[in-house]
Amino acid sequence: MRKGKITMTITIGIACFALVTVMMMQFKVVNETDITEIENMQESELKTELANWKTKYDEIDAQYEDTMQKIEEYKNDEESNNEASRLVQEELEQTNTLLGLTDVEGEGIVVTLKSGEDVAAISADDLLIIVNALKFAGAEAISINDERIVNTTDIVNILDGSFIKVNGQRILEPYVIKVIGNQSHLESAITGNGGKIDELQTLGHTATIEKDNKITITKYNGEVETKYLN
Amino acid sequence: MTKKRTISIILGIMCFALTFGIFVQVRTIKSTDSTISQNQEANDLRDEILRYKERYDNRFKELEEAEKELETQREEATQNDSALKEAQEKITTGNKITGMTEVTGPGVTITLTDGKGIATSTLNPSELIVHDLDVLSVINELINAGAEAISINEQRWVLTTAISCRGNTIDINGERIGAPFTIKAIGLPEYLAGLERIGGYLEYMKQDGVGVNLEKSNNITIPKYSGVINFEYLKNVEE
Repeated sequence: MRKGKITMTITIGIACFALVTVMMMQFKVVNETDITEIENMQESELKTELANWKTKYDEIDAQYEDTMQKIEEYKNDEESNNEASRLVQEELEQTNTLLGLTDVEGEGIVVTLKSGEDVAAISADDLLIIVNALKFAGAEAISINDERIVNTTDIVNILDGSFIKVNGQRILEPYVIKVIGNQSHLESAITGNGGKIDELQTLGHTATIEKDNKITITKYNGEVETKYLN
Repeated sequence: MTKKRTISIILGIMCFALTFGIFVQVRTIKSTDSTISQNQEANDLRDEILRYKERYDNRFKELEEAEKELETQREEATQNDSALKEAQEKITTGNKITGMTEVTGPGVTITLTDGKGIATSTLNPSELIVHDLDVLSVINELINAGAEAISINEQRWVLTTAISCRGNTIDINGERIGAPFTIKAIGLPEYLAGLERIGGYLEYMKQDGVGVNLEKSNNITIPKYSGVINFEYLKNVEE
């Protein structure tokens, strides 16, 4: 009787151990499966991924060549101050374009939004989501009511949503979002099923999208300075 | 006699659970394996992707070196002219702000982890997961609190950065990243730490069961942008 009990206990112990081990292994595998490493991608995904990396490499490579050429130009033109001046101005213009410090123009779309009367007003989050979708669709410049969207732009609700601030500046309805980029990419990013514009329209807000072949977006008016970046 | 029966029942249940566990596991592994080994063409694609990644990584390091060299050359070429020197300084500062160079400074590190709760215990298991819009909201709050540079899992936040959902991962700067998300921001740490305030987005996420951790630091390094911003449709207006 005693012997049987011990055997039983040991058997149950082993079974429990095996069970736990298997469970652990399983969780590990499931966890690893969740991380979408390239090991788990389908062939079509792999092709997209490869194309992505090719593009990334080509871009970085071109940038590298460009940088090397600039270095050479600076080296060669050490004697002539005019050349150095031209080079510096050229680089400064590129930097200023990225900072949003220049007026820019190009083809794109203009989105106009106005809150519906019987529903909660369009919020900062709505604008944030639209801007994000437009960037994802390759927007090269964006402004909301002429406030230029730069990489340090915040879009926030003030006083529980009674108005919205962009770049710390209060903006009022209607919201006019100007975007430069590929017109059809931009439009399809915010319309259609699941698009933010369609969602706002369904809720009862007014939204229009117009294509324009020459949109002008004015420069960022805020301060460009840094206190903490080294 | 009843004891024996109890033990038999327990053993029976154990065997069943064990079998079930193994079965689920085998199925999971099978579905994982099938994409790994069965397809030669897919394997070739994987190899090629890894080769391109490596080429990219090497070129990126060379680019970083070249840009440092360019800065040195620019400084030398402009040192004798005050107007040019000023322009040169604007370029250097501008590159830091736009994400074209690596930066260091004081700030905070925020870590967002998918909730560990059991999915069935909440009404909506999706609340436990960190979403693209969660990350977007946190970044927006960081900028509002004065962040001067931000990265998400080492991807620099630049002018064209968008955050997009791709299955259970998110896509930033054309790269897939998964939880946990480590968001680094440089700015005044006391202001940035204000994100933990009551009514802030971090607290809202915590309530949903997402793991949130914020740490101040005096020495945060944020990498340069991993890509290149090229404009295809945009032109500067001639003045």
